[in-house]
Amino acid sequence: MSCPHTPEIIADHCDPDVSAEALQRHRVHLGTCKVCQQELLTLRGVPGELLRWQSISVPDWDRSGMIKSTIKRKTLPNRSHHWPAILQWLPLAASLVLAVAVMTQTRLSIGPQGWSLSFGVQSAGLSAEQLDEYLTAHANARQAETREWVEVALQTHGQTTADSIYQWMTYIEQQRALDVQRMDAGFEQLINRDFQTVDSVRQLASYVLYQEAP
Amino acid sequence: MDQTDNQLIAAALGGSLPAWDALVRRHERRVYNLGLRLLNNPDDAMDLVQDVFLGVYRNLYRFRGDSQFSTWLFRIVHNKAVDLIRRRQAGPEIEDWFEEGTPEPDNDLPGPLDSYLENEMNQRIGQFMSRLPPAQRLIVELKVFQALTFEEIAPLQDIPVNTAKTRFYTALKNLKAMIEAQT
Repeated sequence: MSCPHTPEIIADHCDPDVSAEALQRHRVHLGTCKVCQQELLTLRGVPGELLRWQSISVPDWDRSGMIKSTIKRKTLPNRSHHWPAILQWLPLAASLVLAVAVMTQTRLSIGPQGWSLSFGVQSAGLSAEQLDEYLTAHANARQAETREWVEVALQTHGQTTADSIYQWMTYIEQQRALDVQRMDAGFEQLINRDFQTVDSVRQLASYVLYQEAP
Repeated sequence: MDQTDNQLIAAALGGSLPAWDALVRRHERRVYNLGLRLLNNPDDAMDLVQDVFLGVYRNLYRFRGDSQFSTWLFRIVHNKAVDLIRRRQAGPEIEDWFEEGTPEPDNDLPGPLDSYLENEMNQRIGQFMSRLPPAQRLIVELKVFQALTFEEIAPLQDIPVNTAKTRFYTALKNLKAMIEAQT
């Protein structure tokens, strides 16, 4: 058997701030409800039993420790050691130097006259004089090579007639001329390709300008 | 003359370690004993004290003095205690508390053994509390030991006032049964 008012009556009985109106209402109810009377009698002593708890002192502990550690964390790191501080900037400095070198296309040339540092883009194509020099050197080298072959051939085949030597020399000269022509064509092709690249960029720029125009 | 809580808080916010120390000493005992009753373990109670005051220190700048410091502190205590209870899940479920016996105090001798008896009493109450479901345990703590009204308890637990009262009534019935089983 139970009563729906019991929880409120028991709870309010333990609440010193309960209103006078609620207390009066409970008194009237208790006058007629045996269930609530019995529950109140049974449970009224329980809070008192619990309040026999003896307050215990707190064991000693570092009360300011949390503040000290918090303050310590908030401060900047100790910079009394100069060498490690410098060291920690080294990777950044090296990265910056590399970036500048890449951006400015720095070149370090080491030759018999010492070393030299140069910046910027060098001319991609060869000048006509350089080309002539190169071709002449190449022709001389081939001539010397041919001469060596002939000497070797003469030593090896001493019985060979003058005619066959002449034909051989003619053939070799033709081959050399053909080589020079091929090389010339290769250089021209290279130059044409550069020109085509520049032309493509120019066309792209024109297209972009055209697209941006209102 | 003792400084008020608000004066200590202002000084602590200004970096005064003695002020912070005094503020903690003033309130730590209440928190510790609450922890002992709710968690039934001195180490856990000490963890609660440290957690609570770390939380207080971190949020001290938010305290505007509109309410009493102890009220503001108790909100932090309540939330931390709920967290710890959930994590620890201390004590067996309410259904099986009859199966465990708790030793009675050996006798009623007065004098030098009083402290022993007090300790036994606390252990007994701690065990009763730990056998309550966490929700009931918290209601009893808030109502009986912290003397809060049901209008104050209900929002703390995010429940209606009538639910708080019903829960309290059920807790008292459970505690009464435990007390009778011990005698």
